[in-house]
Amino acid sequence: MLGQLILNGLVTGSLLALPALALTMVFGILKFPNFAVGAMLTFGAYTAWVMNAMFGLPLLIATAIAAMISAAVAVLSDVLVFQRLRDAGSITLLVASMGLSLILENVCRFAFGNATRNLNVDIARPIRWHGLRINHEQLVTATSVVICVIVIQLLLYTSPLGRAMRATADNAALASVRGIERDTIVRITWALSGCSLALSGVLAGLDRAVDPLLGWNYQIPVFAAAILGGLGSPIGAVTGALVIGLAEELSTLILPTNYRQIVSFAIILLLLLVRNQGLFGGKAVRK
Amino acid sequence: MIAYLSTLAVLVSVAALVGLGLNFQWGVAGLVNFGVVGFVALGAYATALTVPYAGWLGAMVIAAAVSAAMSTVLAFLSTRLCGELPRHRHHRLWRGGRYSPAQRKLADGRGARHCRHPAAVRLLVPAAQYDAFLLGFAVLLVIVTFLVLEMLVRSPLGRALRAVRDDPTVAGALGKPVLLLRIKAFAIGGAVMGIAGSLHAFYLTYIDPSQFTSIITAYAFMAVILGGRGSNVGLVIGAGTIMALIEATRFLKDALNVVDGAQLAALRLGLIGIGIILLLILRPQGMLAEPYQRVRDFFPDDKEGR
Repeated sequence: MLGQLILNGLVTGSLLALPALALTMVFGILKFPNFAVGAMLTFGAYTAWVMNAMFGLPLLIATAIAAMISAAVAVLSDVLVFQRLRDAGSITLLVASMGLSLILENVCRFAFGNATRNLNVDIARPIRWHGLRINHEQLVTATSVVICVIVIQLLLYTSPLGRAMRATADNAALASVRGIERDTIVRITWALSGCSLALSGVLAGLDRAVDPLLGWNYQIPVFAAAILGGLGSPIGAVTGALVIGLAEELSTLILPTNYRQIVSFAIILLLLLVRNQGLFGGKAVRK
Repeated sequence: MIAYLSTLAVLVSVAALVGLGLNFQWGVAGLVNFGVVGFVALGAYATALTVPYAGWLGAMVIAAAVSAAMSTVLAFLSTRLCGELPRHRHHRLWRGGRYSPAQRKLADGRGARHCRHPAAVRLLVPAAQYDAFLLGFAVLLVIVTFLVLEMLVRSPLGRALRAVRDDPTVAGALGKPVLLLRIKAFAIGGAVMGIAGSLHAFYLTYIDPSQFTSIITAYAFMAVILGGRGSNVGLVIGAGTIMALIEATRFLKDALNVVDGAQLAALRLGLIGIGIILLLILRPQGMLAEPYQRVRDFFPDDKEGR
């Protein structure tokens, strides 16, 4: 029972890891929490569903196309919205991302209605291993998230591009003196975050079903995970996601399952009181 | 017709009250609050629970007091971390509008709360004229709140709050109690939101957690941005414009035969999103910017103070 809960918690947490990474990367570069993570996740899930269920493409290819389209949408939203507001302060950007989130979510709702949709995957029996029940979706989620997190970490910490991104996040003016174009880095960051949100949309769609509120279910835990890890810290976001996932699942031992979401709120609240820079954050983020 | 007009007026009034509360917190005092809907819900529940015992006026006062008290507690927690982070905390309350244990218990145990027509009102007016009465009541409530807030904005408290908003360090150096001022602003704004929730409860006479979604927060932010941060007149105009637009798009359904109800709802919400972004880009100062005030606006007789 406990083993099963820990397993479920780790998988739930890994599902949160990619959106939390997307949130924290954009925060690192642009210094505002992107409220539209949930809606972008929903959008990615719908794109993959269209490719997969309507055009009959295999899920892997559908996911790849969805990731590309979501990356394009994320870059487009930067060009149309966020770039124009870059000097306006983080609150303005946050409110703008609320607007973007309304737009994306309702584009999906307008096109496909409120009904829940299912991705076209074969139903398989869960694997039993030492008394644990492991779903195929859980395996898929865990492996793809682990691969993605490793790829993103390698990209950030070993490639020239990652170095440029970290430099821009640290001090944009100083980075541009060294010839790093901020706008290019910002666009690449948006594209990366679009990709990972689309992928997590597909994984979330496998876990539940695709519906317009899919992203909303993850919004609060994702924010909790990113804050827990310290906004702007990629490794912190992943750790935070795992902690939140575990805490939510393990809380079912003592709390009714209805209240599971309370756990994320409680963690945010406690953390902000005790250590407001998060687990891996440097000094508190101030303007 | 009178029923429709009064519905419209009450909707505008609730939006205007919520917006006035947010405008005091965010526009005047510079405190961002993404938990708006939580305070509205709190006010509505406080009203619904106390109206059988306290009467309608008493319930309204209690609603305002409960919301103000909750705001004070939250302000204490968040101003400790002043600066960037407080907003995240309010997500909790904002979702708490749906998920807080007490409300869940209410929703699970007894279904939706029924808030009876205010007893005193029913004695005074027959049911047929309830709509007309509510219309007048809502408008009166907005006018009174507006006047009180406008007085506060012009008072020394308002001046100090604007100073804290523009530069807390300087205001603190001049001996203004920054923390206390912020808490006051948060509590006053919260009380107004509680009153808005109370009106909401009186109007619908029936509340359940699903009415309090984050869209209320989005409307309030849009009203403040549209009207111009810090300007109460602008806010009332902004809230009126937004609600009028939202109501007007309801009739789009007749014009556009191709869309069904769900699509129309999606279209309207999407348009609101586009509206927020366009406003932020094209007219960030809003329709009526906060009036620029000089010393002699406050001290007309003071020849030297310029």
